[in-house]
Amino acid sequence: MKLEVRCERMVVISDLHLGNPYSLAGRRLGEFIDHWAGQGYALCINGDGLEIVQSSFMALASDALGPLAALRRVLLAGAPVYYVVGNHDIALEHLLDTWLGEHISPFLDVWSGGARVRIEHGHLYDPFFVRSPRTYEALTRAVGPLLHLYPDVYRVWSWYQSTKARLRSLYAKDAVSPYHEAASMLLARGFDAVIFGHTHGAELLELDDGVYVNAGNWMRSSNFVRIDAGAISLHRWSDGHLLAGPTRGERNSMVDGQARGG
Amino acid sequence: MGYGLRDGDLHRDCEPGEVIVREGDTSREMYVIEHGRVQIEKRAGDDRVVLASLEKGDFFGEIALLGGGPRDATAVAVVPTRLLVIQAGGLLLRFRRDPTFAFEMVHKLSRRVSALNEKVVGLLEDRPEASDGVAQLLSFGPDRRLKDPT
Repeated sequence: MKLEVRCERMVVISDLHLGNPYSLAGRRLGEFIDHWAGQGYALCINGDGLEIVQSSFMALASDALGPLAALRRVLLAGAPVYYVVGNHDIALEHLLDTWLGEHISPFLDVWSGGARVRIEHGHLYDPFFVRSPRTYEALTRAVGPLLHLYPDVYRVWSWYQSTKARLRSLYAKDAVSPYHEAASMLLARGFDAVIFGHTHGAELLELDDGVYVNAGNWMRSSNFVRIDAGAISLHRWSDGHLLAGPTRGERNSMVDGQARGG
Repeated sequence: MGYGLRDGDLHRDCEPGEVIVREGDTSREMYVIEHGRVQIEKRAGDDRVVLASLEKGDFFGEIALLGGGPRDATAVAVVPTRLLVIQAGGLLLRFRRDPTFAFEMVHKLSRRVSALNEKVVGLLEDRPEASDGVAQLLSFGPDRRLKDPT
């Protein structure tokens, strides 16, 4: 298992949830993979690439066909593909291991342009997941059949997450996000940037010791993180066009491609 | 040398050439390099042998923290270096809050054991006459090698 790699150029995507009825990733991902692999970028799927908790194997197999074919082209061309395991695809770890071998890991440390970047899904810092992992999984599974009947029910979860974040920023201004806190801990032990996924909310933030980025999701969005010789930027892949995010060192914060004040 | 507390973590800033821990010391803390470079050295007779050159993200001193006993090597800062200083209680708390650190430690220690095993095998192949002594060292006592049933 490779936990540390040297790589000057890499794109990182998170939370594709291929196979989930709500996810549109299967339609757009092939083009994205072909484009960046053609530019000489390594690819890292930062967890929850494949959906097994809320989906059937049949749905997964049909939805993942296009992206897996693109990944196969990339692998055959000799470009590196890394897969970091998340909480929705951990049951597939053995299967992925036979396909990706040493390129599948629970986290990945990337040396790029002298910078040390941690790529990790981030579910280990989700208070609910850590406090009650069984309840978390049971609830996640329970929503699965509902998603097949009415995929947009997923919007309720998205609304709940964004409302919770908004209320926290309104009423508990001093409360630190558990993901920012975890990123700070990692940055304090020799990392220059930390890339998480899991929350589905794309975000780039300068913390005291370095940069924190959340790679967002590909369910209805199409966010990705670019690593170029240690510089980190957040983008949205939309109809083949790039929406540039701030690069490392510009002291900016951004949520889902939109600049946020302060 | 300077110490500072930030967010409950103890940090230590070192000048180039500063000895962080000395071989034989009985201090127990381990260190993670936040930035800078550290050289690990060991006495060999009258000489000093450089065992490793460590950079940001690497850790050292964990043998004294986990196993006790005096330091088995000296660590020297090569350039201006900032270290995260961790004691046993702090390490346990860090494992709870930063579980991948535990995974990284075990991964690196496993690789070190694997590298040492390869060195031992290489030594035995180069110097078969040393096999008895090495076998005794590895079994921490009397010779417990498996006997060939033939």
